[in-house]
Amino acid sequence: MRLPPFHYLAPRTHAEALEMMRRYRGKVRICAGGTDVMNLLRLRLLTPSYVMSLKGVAGLTGIKRRRGDFAIAAGTTLRDVEEAPEIRLSLPGVAQSAGLVAAPPIRNVATIGGNLLQDTRCLFYNQSELVREAAAPCLKQGGRVCAAVKGSKRCFSVYQGDMAPSLIAFGARAVLKRKGGGRTVPVEALFSGRGTRPLFLGDDEMLTHIIIPIPKGVYGSSYQKLRLRTGLEYPLISSAVFIGVSKKGEIDRARVVIGAAGPAPIVDGEAAASLIGRRPEEVNPEEAADHAGSIARPVDNLAMAGQYRKKMAKVFTKRAIEAALAALGKAGASW
Amino acid sequence: MVKMEKQRITLQVNGEVHEVYAFPNMTLLEVLREELHLTGAKESCGQGACGACTVLLDGLPVRSCLLLAREAEGRQVVTIEGLASGGKLHPIQEAFIEHHAIQCGFCAPGMILTAKALLDRTPDPTEGEIRRALAGNICRCTGYVKIVEAIKAAAAKEK
Repeated sequence: MRLPPFHYLAPRTHAEALEMMRRYRGKVRICAGGTDVMNLLRLRLLTPSYVMSLKGVAGLTGIKRRRGDFAIAAGTTLRDVEEAPEIRLSLPGVAQSAGLVAAPPIRNVATIGGNLLQDTRCLFYNQSELVREAAAPCLKQGGRVCAAVKGSKRCFSVYQGDMAPSLIAFGARAVLKRKGGGRTVPVEALFSGRGTRPLFLGDDEMLTHIIIPIPKGVYGSSYQKLRLRTGLEYPLISSAVFIGVSKKGEIDRARVVIGAAGPAPIVDGEAAASLIGRRPEEVNPEEAADHAGSIARPVDNLAMAGQYRKKMAKVFTKRAIEAALAALGKAGASW
Repeated sequence: MVKMEKQRITLQVNGEVHEVYAFPNMTLLEVLREELHLTGAKESCGQGACGACTVLLDGLPVRSCLLLAREAEGRQVVTIEGLASGGKLHPIQEAFIEHHAIQCGFCAPGMILTAKALLDRTPDPTEGEIRRALAGNICRCTGYVKIVEAIKAAAAKEK
């Protein structure tokens, strides 16, 4: 199917890109790798007047190691994130997440920024116009009721990005620029929790970098993802876990983040707190994952039933905890 | 409604420079098939899930249905038509024929180009590496075993 008509913008510099975002505010969509936005265009879920390519903008790709952190430019491909030796070594959960997105040909062009800033999805929303027109518009299409949870006034569309859970687990921050200013926020603060408009992102804002602190001392991490087909699929539930151990041998830092359970990644503070203060060998991953299973409340709006995905929230969190514990003190990512 | 105008797009395909006039909303797949008449890359799912439209972009397999033609400017595009040279098939193509890895043939261009990109980087891949590299390509005839065998044979021949 043809894409809807649009004008193509090709800025050469950051400043030009930000100026275009301001000038065409609300009418322009950014195309970085394009793998996500092209499908939304094709389904007419997006019909912008302008599509702005970031291909020619200098400085929007690459990974820089700085004092105490990494700065990953938003236009860096997921393949480059997955394969960068320094990311695999220092931020294994992040490399692992990148390597589990879709399939290799997608990762060759899809970017970390595009993956992070993707829209929420739903079986009743991500459909062709023909299918959508056969029913009353859902909340995400500007209608009055949810099509997935009949009668609900709340949108249950699901954020299915693979990068966000691991980025949040590692305490990453997003650098956003707009003409004449900018802000840097923790990645979790980008999410509104509302399915209809899931990201706190201005029409004129552009994500330029993701800053990820390099954890100190001994630590381990893992990202586990449920999907129907290993080679290609969005997560149906996922879990990212980060665990750090003090010099005394006790877990002193932990983060558990559940993905694809609702409109935003869920930071499970209680599951993380249950790990802190214990020695790694004392942790019972099944028990620690209990809470994750109870706070995830997926509904029947993706390719697997909500009840099943809820059970799997616990299973995949347990696996992520086990893998993060097994990785403690071992350098590098493996999956 | 946006009124678009055709724009000049310069593409390097199979080692040749082509200038075409196309609307900005045209994908690389549409330009390859409709403007350059290179019909080896196929449109199947049209959403990046099947791999039938695979081409190589700077040596890496990508979905040409998910790439605007304008995005491929300044980069090297290789389609299945660019693999044979001097009237002789590429060794991977020959291996696909020898090992009966082509049934209906619809997925074959994508499979072969994906295999080429793999063997260019990893000349002696394990079966796991082959399967992972092909994970984004669907064969609806389900001829995967033969395809994997053909790629293994092509790798062995190149040794």
